[in-house]
Amino acid sequence: MRCARSALALAVVAMMSTMGCRIGQLMTRNLAAFGEERSLPNRITHPERPDARLAVLWVGHATALIQMEDKFILTDPVFTDTIGQLSPRLVEPGIAVENLPPIDAVLISHMHFDHMSLGSLEMLASKVRWLGLPRGGLVYLTDFAFPAREVPWWTSQTLAGGLRVTSVPVQHNGWRYGMDRDWRQGGYTGWVIEYRGMTVYFSGDTALNAERFRATAQRFPSIDLALLPISPIHPRDYMHKMHVDPNEALTAFELLGARWMVPVHYDTFVNSLDEAGEPKRVLLEAMEKRGFDESRVALLEIGEQRVFIER
Amino acid sequence: MPGEARAQTEGEIGSPYPTWPWIVTQLVPSPELVIQDGQPAFGARWQLTPVLFSFGIHRSQRPWRAFVVEPIVRHSGSLEWYVSPEYIALDDDFSRRFGLRTGVRSYVPLIERGDYLSLSFGTSVMRFQEQTAVAYEVGAHVLFGFLGTLLSYSPTPEGGRFISTLQLRFF
Repeated sequence: MRCARSALALAVVAMMSTMGCRIGQLMTRNLAAFGEERSLPNRITHPERPDARLAVLWVGHATALIQMEDKFILTDPVFTDTIGQLSPRLVEPGIAVENLPPIDAVLISHMHFDHMSLGSLEMLASKVRWLGLPRGGLVYLTDFAFPAREVPWWTSQTLAGGLRVTSVPVQHNGWRYGMDRDWRQGGYTGWVIEYRGMTVYFSGDTALNAERFRATAQRFPSIDLALLPISPIHPRDYMHKMHVDPNEALTAFELLGARWMVPVHYDTFVNSLDEAGEPKRVLLEAMEKRGFDESRVALLEIGEQRVFIER
Repeated sequence: MPGEARAQTEGEIGSPYPTWPWIVTQLVPSPELVIQDGQPAFGARWQLTPVLFSFGIHRSQRPWRAFVVEPIVRHSGSLEWYVSPEYIALDDDFSRRFGLRTGVRSYVPLIERGDYLSLSFGTSVMRFQEQTAVAYEVGAHVLFGFLGTLLSYSPTPEGGRFISTLQLRFF
């Protein structure tokens, strides 16, 4: 009995030291990154592309400006200098807020600070026509003038002009402050956006849940473009329950049956123990091994805009 | 459960309620520096919020909370009634070092809707060593209200009482 108790105590101490060590490493990296924000030369000032039916501008992290003909959609907008006050931005946003067009739909995938940034929504507020959140999201949004709506999984909203957004299941978590995890088992979602025969998928953060990706592919059999995260990778034993790594992101891409993939959610903030540049390097290795090339997996630079379907 | 049905099962979202981690973290005291009649002393306080009304929460949401309050619901703009057991080391008799404060406090968001920085203003009454004193306070709160500083002044007892609190708060 005493032996079992000692073993348990040892396990708890070991677990706490490991966790403490990881948190310490993460904090050290974040503190070292303050004041190191890289500026981007020649940022796009007019993102409207008259030649495009479908275009994407990667703003950084999970923020992407999607143009579907005359409609603009912005995913998980983060334009602030830090996330959660403690994690500084490494690269300036790929477009200045003042250069954004009016946004027909802002889509929030979950409540974490690097996905729902209230300061960024304040900057954008005058341009937002509609905002969609996962179920349970409004309680953390605070009160904004623009219309905002929670959209449960497998539910669609048809917006002005026929733009249609559908909340689809992924696998992540929906708490914001840690202690709220007990009453927030839900509160995260992926999104499918449809407009004039084009379909775009945005997962937000997700682990590899083949069943959910297959279910989405069954309901949306002709996804043109999938925006999928490729980071954080490490520590893998902790992250695998919530985040795909680059190889798993490719698997998700295959399961979704999409034509193109744009990797996102890397090299913008320090939010893991990944080395700088590691997610992109690992993705390129996985692509080579699995026979994907850049004609299908479009590795955009932050601030780069790519036209996928021309008019 | 068939695969399709399981894929459609969305996790529950409930109202905040007291959980064991919440209860344990409420026991963590906020340290204070107390100056009364020019004499400094160590102090500590614990806090409970029996009722809070949020005026920053989204208009579609219920604005009332009891005891467990999500940080953004408090710091995006709210008015709370709070109760604070307080310890002030101002007497040799240990049992006379405990008091009870109750008051109202309002939060005003400054940055990131209050998640990054909010200010608070409040007033309270405190029963300590057989005396009842009114106090006025201002505060600033960062890191989703996890860390804050409160400065309070009470004109009674004679000579006044200043308290500077390093507030640690978990929900």
